Amino acid sequence: MTEEFDNKLDRAARQLATGISPERDLWPGIAEAIERPQRSRWTPMFAQAAAIVLLVGASSAVTYLAVSDNKGPVTAVAPELVFEQASFGNNYNLGPGFQDARNSLRGELDVEMTYLSPEARVDIQDNLDLIHQAIVEINTALEREPDNVLLQQKLLRAYREELTLLRRVGGLTRNVMMRNDI
Amino acid sequence: MEALLTAASNDYSRGMVTAGTDIVADEAAWVRQAQRSDARAFEALYRMHIDKVYGLCLRMTGNVSEAEDCAQEAFIQAWNKLNKFRGDSAFATWLHRIAVNTVLGRIRKSKREQDRIQTVADTRPEPLETGDTGELRDLAEAIDRLPEGARHVFVLNAVYGYTHDEAAGMLGIAAGTSKAQLHRARRLLAQQLEEQEFDA
Repeated sequence: MTEEFDNKLDRAARQLATGISPERDLWPGIAEAIERPQRSRWTPMFAQAAAIVLLVGASSAVTYLAVSDNKGPVTAVAPELVFEQASFGNNYNLGPGFQDARNSLRGELDVEMTYLSPEARVDIQDNLDLIHQAIVEINTALEREPDNVLLQQKLLRAYREELTLLRRVGGLTRNVMMRNDI
Repeated sequence: MEALLTAASNDYSRGMVTAGTDIVADEAAWVRQAQRSDARAFEALYRMHIDKVYGLCLRMTGNVSEAEDCAQEAFIQAWNKLNKFRGDSAFATWLHRIAVNTVLGRIRKSKREQDRIQTVADTRPEPLETGDTGELRDLAEAIDRLPEGARHVFVLNAVYGYTHDEAAGMLGIAAGTSKAQLHRARRLLAQQLEEQEFDA
């Protein structure tokens, strides 16, 4: 059935009309489009460049405002992690929301860990160690460049990742760290 | 050249039919003229190729208004890209490639919009007016019911005679995928047409 049918099908397909006239003349629409004066390519490119410059400028301004409006003392919240003043180059401050969330999650973690398998505990600990290592390294770099905004943001991200991991393990939904807490 | 265009300007398509062996030469001349932004020469190319381009769009989309839009858009894009046509392939092939790209682009856009507005349209479209009659009409309708990927490959390969490499290039898939889709299309058509005791 297959080969014979395929041949028959191919023959029939070759007989199908390939040229089909549209019910209406499409040329007027095409003519209108192609005869319309084309806008210079420079305009959108220039507009794109200007938009990028504006975006970068606005982003920088927002970052500046965000990091400059919350100055205050920084507190160490856990024995193995010390949030030094230098870590944030005088620009960031660990808010009470962050510290509460972290303390709470750390406490829950120890309990939750006892319910986990040894393999899972090792995985979680490995991940936490990686994050802590990153925090230590970023802190070291920040001591040399205390005003480096990129490093500060990386540090914040690392703290946030730690919290996320702790929350996942503990299954907690409270004390969510907000951007403004830091 | 000027005389050629003047003579052709009244009815390019009729001129094409009667021109016989001059068609290829005429086409090359019109392409060169159109590349110099001559809209009349481009209209000649449009008259020469619109039926094939529209037919391809119609068989690929299965929808008259969509096919009209695709064909129109394909010619507009062809005009904008005309200077990139170097004659490495036939003008018709180049144009068909643009048409296929246009169809695929519109399908992607349409899917995105459907996803966004979560519409459910389960209405069967009217049978296409393709000019096919009898058993061929059954086949055309069966092709129209094929899943998109299988339909596109079948139309390009079995109906328009493009090789798997060419069809795959147009559709942005591997030649092996094109072969697999053709096989799938044939099996699905066999199922559909068997029920109708197809005997072309």
